[in-house]
Amino acid sequence: MTRRLGMALGFLAAGMAGAAAQGWQPTKPIEFVVTSSPGGGTDNFTRMIQSIIMKYKLIDQPIVVSNKGGGSGAEGYLVSKTAAGDPYKVIFGTNNAYLLPYVAKLGYKFSDLTPVAALALDEFLLWVKADAPYKTAKDYVEAVKAKPETYKMGGSQSKDTDQTLTSILSTVTGAKFIYVPFQGGGAVGTQLAGGHVNSHTNNPNESIGQWKAGQVRPLCVFSPARLPAGPKVTETAGWADIPTCKEAGIPVERFQMPRTVWLPAGTPPGAAQFYEGVLKKVSETPEWQEYITRTVQTGQFLSGDSLKAFVANDDKLSREVFEREGWIVK
Amino acid sequence: MVARWQAELGMAALLAVIGIVTIIGALEYGVGWSPSGPEPGAFPFYMGIIVLLASVANGLRAALPLLRPGLWAGQAFLKPEQMRLVLGFTLPILGLVVASLMLGLYVGMALYLFGTLVLQNRYPVIKAGLIALTTPFLAYLLIERVFKVAMLKGPLEAFLGL
Amino acid sequence: MDGFSGLLHGFGVALTWHHILLMVIGVLLGILVGVLPGLGAPNGVSLLLPLTFTMDPVAAIILLTSMYWGALFGGSTTSILFNIPGEPSSVATTFDGYPMAQNGRATEALSFAFLSAGFGAIVGVLLITALSGWVTQFALKFSSPEFFGVYFLAFASFVGLSGAPPLKAAVSIALGFSLAAVGMDSVSGSLRLTFGFDVLLAGISFLVAVIGLFGIGELILTIEDGLKLDGIRAKITPRDVLRTAMQMPKHWATLLRSSIVGCWMGITPGGPTAASFMSYGLAKRFSAYRANFGKGEPDGVIAPETADHSAGTSAMLPMMALGLPGSATAAVMLGGLMIWGLNPGPMLFVERPDFVWGLIASMYLGNVVAVVLVLATVPLFASILRIPFAIIGPLIVVVCFIGAYTIAGRPFDLWLALAFGVLGYAFKKLDYPIAPLILAMVIGDKAEDAFRQSMIMSKGSLAIFWSNPLVTSLMLLGLVLLFWPLLGALRQRLRPSRA
Repeated sequence: MTRRLGMALGFLAAGMAGAAAQGWQPTKPIEFVVTSSPGGGTDNFTRMIQSIIMKYKLIDQPIVVSNKGGGSGAEGYLVSKTAAGDPYKVIFGTNNAYLLPYVAKLGYKFSDLTPVAALALDEFLLWVKADAPYKTAKDYVEAVKAKPETYKMGGSQSKDTDQTLTSILSTVTGAKFIYVPFQGGGAVGTQLAGGHVNSHTNNPNESIGQWKAGQVRPLCVFSPARLPAGPKVTETAGWADIPTCKEAGIPVERFQMPRTVWLPAGTPPGAAQFYEGVLKKVSETPEWQEYITRTVQTGQFLSGDSLKAFVANDDKLSREVFEREGWIVK
Repeated sequence: MVARWQAELGMAALLAVIGIVTIIGALEYGVGWSPSGPEPGAFPFYMGIIVLLASVANGLRAALPLLRPGLWAGQAFLKPEQMRLVLGFTLPILGLVVASLMLGLYVGMALYLFGTLVLQNRYPVIKAGLIALTTPFLAYLLIERVFKVAMLKGPLEAFLGL
Repeated sequence: MDGFSGLLHGFGVALTWHHILLMVIGVLLGILVGVLPGLGAPNGVSLLLPLTFTMDPVAAIILLTSMYWGALFGGSTTSILFNIPGEPSSVATTFDGYPMAQNGRATEALSFAFLSAGFGAIVGVLLITALSGWVTQFALKFSSPEFFGVYFLAFASFVGLSGAPPLKAAVSIALGFSLAAVGMDSVSGSLRLTFGFDVLLAGISFLVAVIGLFGIGELILTIEDGLKLDGIRAKITPRDVLRTAMQMPKHWATLLRSSIVGCWMGITPGGPTAASFMSYGLAKRFSAYRANFGKGEPDGVIAPETADHSAGTSAMLPMMALGLPGSATAAVMLGGLMIWGLNPGPMLFVERPDFVWGLIASMYLGNVVAVVLVLATVPLFASILRIPFAIIGPLIVVVCFIGAYTIAGRPFDLWLALAFGVLGYAFKKLDYPIAPLILAMVIGDKAEDAFRQSMIMSKGSLAIFWSNPLVTSLMLLGLVLLFWPLLGALRQRLRPSRA
C-alpha cells in the first residue's frame, strides 16, 4: 500500500518534472561563463555560440559573456559552486571541467556541474619544423628513441592536454621527450618555427598560419579518421593529406578534446534540457558549420547518455596517465 | 600624531609579515633545485626571504631613534589635521566597498556619493541627490548597454529584473 | 617589410574615419584622465582596457595609445596651471612651468610644453620607424633563455635608475614578484600562494594594483595636502602659440638632448618619469642660465616635456618587439595585447604587420591630433578644475572602483583596490618606489617561467644563459647595469637635484 502510494507520488513528481522540462524558459539575462581568457579557443567557441543564438533569436533574453580563465579555467568552474542552482550561469569549457580537480586542489568537484552538451572535438597533430629530416611520424619517433630525453616537445601549460598526449605517446612508443610548457599554442608555435623545440602537438587552428608560411609541417593527426578535405593549405597539401597517427605506425587510436557546456548542479529541472535544445539548434546552423571548418575541428553533438559515455571514457584514459605521472593531488 | 619612525616601523612590520606568509606558502611546493631547474616554490621562497630581510633592516633603521634620540626628531608622518582628512576620505571608501559587496556597485556608489557630499562636504541635499542618482545611471548606460560588461549587482537589480 | 614601405602600409591601415574618430575620442578621454589628479595614464588605459576586449586589435590599440598621448599632454596642463602634476611624469614640469604661469607667462609655458612634447613624440616615433624593420630579423632567435635575458636586463636597468633607498626598492621589487607568483604556476601546473582561498585562484591582477596604487593612493595624498585648486585663467590664441613656436629653434640643444635621454629611457625600460627628471637635471647642468631654473626658465619646461613624450612613444617599441614595457602605461597595454590574442615579441612584426604599422602610423597622427586638441581644450579643462575637489574626489573614487570591478568581474578586486590604495599612499609617503613593484608584477611570472623553461631545456644547467652571442650579451649588459649604481660617482653627478 505505502509502496504503491510512493510509486504514485513518484509518477506524479516525474510528470511534473516533465511538464517543467517543457516549460522552463529564461526570464532574465543569462551569463555565459568562459573558462579561458579572451582570445583563447574556449573564448572563440563561446562567442561563436552567443552570436549564433543572437542571430537566430534562439533565446529571448540578453546574453552577457564573462571571462573567468584564472587557474587554467578553474575560476570559471568555481561558478558552479558559488552560483549553485542558478540556471542563468552557463559554463563553457573543455575536458578540464572533470580533469582539473585531479591535478589541483580546487574549491569545486566534478559533481558540482550538470552536463549539458559537447559540440565539437578539437584535433591534435604532431608537428615538426618544416626543414626537419623526418618524412614520417615513425621516422621522428625512431630518432627520439635513439637519443632519449634530448628531443624537446613543446606544449601549452602543464598537466594539461598537450602533456597528457606527450605522456601517452611516450608510453606507447617508448620515445622519451623533454616536455617544455609554454603559455598558449601561439608561443609554442613560434618556438618550433625558431627551432628551439623539436616538435609540438598543437591544434590545427593554432598552427595553420605557420604551416602556410612554410615554417612547420604536420606529421600525423591523433584522430581515428583523416581530417575532412578542405581547400589546400600549402601549395601541395591540405588537411586530408595528413595521415592518421595509426596509419603512420603510432598506435594512438584517438586523442581529441571536447568543447563542453555545463550548468551548476541543482538547477531547476528542465533548464539543462532547455539549453541542450538551444545548442542542438546552434549546431545545425550554417554559421556553426563554417566555424567548425575554419578551425578544423570535428563537429559532433553529444548530450545525455552519449556525453556521459564520452566523459567516462576520456576521464578513465586521462586518469591512468595522471596516476602514472603522479600528478594527482590528494 | 603619527611620527615618521612609527610609520616606518609599522610598514616594515607589515611587509615582514607578508614576507613570512610568502615563505610559508612557498614551502608547500618544494623550494629546492630539481633536475629540471628550480621547484615551483623556490622563486616565491627567495622573494619572501628578500622581503623579510630587507624589511627587518628597514625596521631596524626606523627603530634607531629609540637608541639615538634626535635622529628622526620632529619628522611627522601624519599631523592630527592630516589624519582627520585622510581618515575622513578613506573610511567612506571602505563603506563604498562594503555597501557595494552587499547591495551591488550601483547602489553602493549612489550611497557613497550621497553620503560624502551631504554629510561630509555639507553639499545641498537636492544637488547631491542628483549627482548620486545620475552617476550610477550613466555608468549603467556606458558599461552595460554600450560595452556589454556585467556589473556587480545586488538585490535591487534582482528586484528590477536587470 | 622595411621601415618606409611598412609605414606607408600603416598609414593605409590607420587612415580610416573610424580610426581617426577613435583617435579623437582617445585623446579627449586621455586629456580628461591626465588633467584629473589621481587618474593617470596607466589607470586611464586600464579602465578602458576591458571595454576593448571585443574590438579589433588595431582599433583597440589606436584608442588606447591615443588616450596615452592625451593623458601625457593633460598631465602637463595641470602641472603648469595648478602646480598639480596630473601624471607622475609631469612632476618635473611643475618646477619651472608653474613659476612661469605665476609670472603671467602661462600661455608661453603651455605652448612650450605642448610643442616640445609634440617634438619629443615625433622623434620617438621616427626612432621606432627606423628600428622596426631591423627588429624583425631577430624574430625567431628568441627562446626562453633570451626572454629571461631581456627581463633581467629590464630589471637591472630599472633598479639602477630608481632614486629610492636601495633596501626599500628591494622590498618593492620582491613584493611585486611575490604578488605575481600568486595563482596558477604555468610551468608546474600547481596553484601557489593561494592558501586554499578560491579568490586567489586567478592571481592578483596588476591592473587592480595600478588602480589602487596610482589612483586611490594618489587621491589620498592629494586630500592629505588639504588641496586647494586655485586655477589660473588661461586663454590661448593661435598668435601666442605661433610666437612661441618661432622661439623653439633657439632651444635646439635642449630639445635634442632631451629626446635622446627620452628615447634611451623609453627603450631600456626606465620610464617617462625617470626620463623627465634626468632630462631636467641635464638641462639645468648644461644651461647658461642655471640660476633661473626653478624660477620660470623655458628650458626647464622644454626638457622634461620632450623627454617625457619621447620616452612614452619609444616605449612602444620594446613593448611590441620584446614584450617589454618601457613605462607603466606600456605595461598595461602589453596586458591588452595578450588579451586581444596578439603575442608581443619579435614575431608580432612578422605575424601582424597591419597591427604594428597601423599603430606606428597612428602614433604620428595621434600626436598631431593630441597637440591640436590639447591646445583647444585648455580653457575647458581649466574650468573643470574649478569644480571643488569635494565633488571631483568622490567621483574619481567611484570611477576607480568601477574600473577595478570591470577588469575581471571579481567582487574581491574591490577589496584589493582599496588595500592597494592604502598601500600606495603609505609607500609614497615612506619612499618605497611603486614603479618597480608594478614592473615586477607585470613581468615577474614571465621572467620566472622563462627561467624555468630554460632550465627544463638545459636539464638544469645555467650555461644555457651564455650559450649563444645574443643571450650572452643580454645577460652581460644586464649585469653591467645591475652593478652600475656601484659606480655611483658618475651617476651622482648626473642626478638632478630635487627642486
